[in-house]
Amino acid sequence: MNIAFWIISAVAVLGAVLAVTLRNLVHCVLALILFFIGIAAHYFLLRADFLGTVQILIYVGAVAVLILFAIMLTHNVTGVDGPKELLGVKWWSGAAIAATLAILLKKAILSDPLATLLPAGDKAQSSVAEIGKALVAGWVVSLEAIAILLTAALIGAVVIALEEIQKS
Amino acid sequence: MDHLHKLARQQWLIPAIPLAAAAIQSLLPRSAKKLSAGLCLMAMGISCLFALRAFFATLGHAEVVRAVWNFTWFDYGTVSFKLGFILDPLTAAMAAMVTFVGFWIFVNATGYMHDDENFTRFFCFLSLFAAAMLGLVVSNNILLLFMCWELVGLCSYLLIGFWFHKPSAAAACKKAFITTRIGDVGFFLGILMLFWKTGTLNLYTAEGTGALQRVGELLGPGWFGWSVATTIAVLLFIGAMGKSAQFPLHVWLPDAMEGPTPVSALIHAATMVAAGVFMVGRMFPLFIAGGSLEHPTFAMDMVLYVGAFTALFSATIAVAQFDIKRVLAYSTCSQLGFMVMALGAGGLVPGQFHLLTHAFFKALLFLGSGCVIIGTHHEQDMRKMGGLRKYMPITFVCYLIGMLALAGVPPFAGFFSKDEVLLVTFQRSKLAWGMATFAAFLTAFYMTRQMFMVFAGKWRGGDHGAAHGHGGHEPHEVPWNMWLPIAVLSLFAIGLGFFGGKYAHYLGAEEEELSGKALVMGLSVTVGTLGILLGWFLYGRKPLAHASDPDPLESKLGGLFTCLNRKWYVDEFYEATIIRATMVGGTLFRVIDKRLVDGILHSIVWIVRGISQVCRWVGDEFFINGGFDAGCQTVRGSGWLMSKLQSGRVQNYFRILGLGTIILLVVYFLK
Amino acid sequence: MNIPLGHYLILAAILFAIGLAGALTRKNAIIVLMGIEVMFNSAILNLVAFWHYKHFAVPTAQLFAIFAIAIAAAESAVGLALVIAVYRHYKSVDVDEMKELKG
Repeated sequence: MNIAFWIISAVAVLGAVLAVTLRNLVHCVLALILFFIGIAAHYFLLRADFLGTVQILIYVGAVAVLILFAIMLTHNVTGVDGPKELLGVKWWSGAAIAATLAILLKKAILSDPLATLLPAGDKAQSSVAEIGKALVAGWVVSLEAIAILLTAALIGAVVIALEEIQKS
Repeated sequence: MDHLHKLARQQWLIPAIPLAAAAIQSLLPRSAKKLSAGLCLMAMGISCLFALRAFFATLGHAEVVRAVWNFTWFDYGTVSFKLGFILDPLTAAMAAMVTFVGFWIFVNATGYMHDDENFTRFFCFLSLFAAAMLGLVVSNNILLLFMCWELVGLCSYLLIGFWFHKPSAAAACKKAFITTRIGDVGFFLGILMLFWKTGTLNLYTAEGTGALQRVGELLGPGWFGWSVATTIAVLLFIGAMGKSAQFPLHVWLPDAMEGPTPVSALIHAATMVAAGVFMVGRMFPLFIAGGSLEHPTFAMDMVLYVGAFTALFSATIAVAQFDIKRVLAYSTCSQLGFMVMALGAGGLVPGQFHLLTHAFFKALLFLGSGCVIIGTHHEQDMRKMGGLRKYMPITFVCYLIGMLALAGVPPFAGFFSKDEVLLVTFQRSKLAWGMATFAAFLTAFYMTRQMFMVFAGKWRGGDHGAAHGHGGHEPHEVPWNMWLPIAVLSLFAIGLGFFGGKYAHYLGAEEEELSGKALVMGLSVTVGTLGILLGWFLYGRKPLAHASDPDPLESKLGGLFTCLNRKWYVDEFYEATIIRATMVGGTLFRVIDKRLVDGILHSIVWIVRGISQVCRWVGDEFFINGGFDAGCQTVRGSGWLMSKLQSGRVQNYFRILGLGTIILLVVYFLK
Repeated sequence: MNIPLGHYLILAAILFAIGLAGALTRKNAIIVLMGIEVMFNSAILNLVAFWHYKHFAVPTAQLFAIFAIAIAAAESAVGLALVIAVYRHYKSVDVDEMKELKG
């Protein structure tokens, strides 16, 4: 199982790095899908089966397609970054901030006793049914709030994107 | 008492019902006029039933009963923040009055606003206002009261500026909002101080831990040598001065008449402007804490004399106005002065009683003036009216009743309450009593003047008909939904006074035999009669024949009349002082910036230059000037850097966020 | 499986940093949004890892991750709609050209 962790992590990191560095936008999205699948695999590894499914459905199925549509609607298949920006001040400062943050976070994580925690138990149990019950019982208000939020986001997205069409 | 506690738990329903109506109305389309008005009336009616039930439950107890219901709003650390609702005579009587008078004003508004295209919006605002006002009344928490207080201010702003396409209305609503806001600063400081000193904002609790039940702890030294309680009371009263239009913050109320007339009746006569008086009554224990009748606290003196001065001051202005609504507006200021003065004299009961009776007859008068305005096709200048008694008999009778009540003629409601006010003031201060009696004389006079100008003589509207567009149209009586409310209210303007004496103990204080009763009452009736006679002498014997005729009083008083007509030039005074001062201040700072700061810089340069001239042989000129320039560059550079932060580029903000996170982490490690 | 919790947390931190770097360095607004998606996912991975190591017996603790995913989905939908609207206005998705709010 250890080897699975390392392989999946390598795939996810590779996907993430490619997603934010490739020049061709469609290639970026494909790399992003690789990253999403890596995360989903991690969820399965962590026995969050339901979450893994949700991850693939929502991110690979919906978000990635949404991004592809956005790319097509903006007629912008190749990225606008020229080679000169790639090594400019902006690039260096951004990369430096991100690297510093990663190093500091790593230090913070390792300084905490939680970092050495091993898995508590291996009780295999299906969590889907319990999550379903909890969603419509104890957490129904939160569920409804999320539903309203998603509806509002949907309407908002349509309004934002539609308004200009009518004008032009 | 159990029954009362049960009712106290349901007090929140009284504001909640109009609030729900407002929420629904805000979603209605513009064309749903009937539905909107129906919702508004229904909500107010149900609310009124609840309020009346609570009112009758508090009635008939030998002493002051009080039931509260508090609940936890949120916990913050160890501090548990509670809100609550209260049921006591003050609240019950006020809520019953607001809902009842409000209901009839809403009925009248359906007629007054009938042809307005924004009818639905108007009734939505009215419902919201009713909800906020009732929330203010039933609140047992000073912060909740303040929230509702601000909300009624907002509704007042929205409704004064309802016809915002008129520049004068747009200016008036801004003026009202800003002027009351000046007072609110004081109010808020008072709230903060109360919380700081007592640690609670609930006024009463069942265990006796409420802020008002512990005023005994607040007698330590506060500001300016006053006790803490007096300091808080003074700050709160500044808020009440803004809301209840007391001098010098009264200037917004007359301008507020730019709003539709039902709004003037509801907000700027009967309810909202009384909120200040109500609040002082609610916080009364703070005002009297540490004082007695012989040695009243500063807060009480302030309340007394501000009220007395406002009563007299506004009455003089009302004498010389020509706009039918402005006369009533200044009259409202003046009557609010009476109430405040009564509170300042220690008379909680007379003050609140006058508030209640005044709400009825002043709402009646405003609605009556609304009927007149509609009946005469939107004419507000009294000089262009006249003879309406023939055209509008029902309005005339109701208006006459309201006028007699306001003038303090027995046996109308105003006589009883005003008499109580004068009596309690007489005990405290002869000066304030004298001012108030003179104000009562003026009140009788200007109301008589108004009656004769509007209803007696011949119809003078035709004189300016050509210019007005409605040329030559004769006035007509208003439809039933406009005269019915004033008819109902006039019944109360007649009858309410009789109950006053019976239930004087009801609102709070113990009965005591007050001296000078006969003198005060006799004098009050005399000055009222004199005022009416003088009004008849000047305006009744031979009514104005033409709209362009000079006012009889104008020829007698000359320059003084102009001065009164211009409202003692208070607006001009503010224009010339405060507003000018603000502008001069702005200009001054600019000049300081340009001349002084630059001048200092230049003189520094000069000095530096001088030194450098002296030290030239050392060759320092380059260094010193250079150093100074570098200093300037640093200042400019930091300004440039700060403006660079606002680059408008989303990634810059993002980068700063990342840097901030790094700094937080570094701080975490260094700690 | 005897991977300690720290490994997951460090993995999430690295992914977060990669996403941040992408969001900070690229000019294309769509890639900036993709970087933000990466950051979101790494945060949710943290949540799930904590659940697995600390509260495995309580499956409902995953609800927080689900809600976070829903909110992230709403965010990306609105974000992409904004990108499209901005594109219609500027005929470009270069974030460096969107500086109307410059102080």
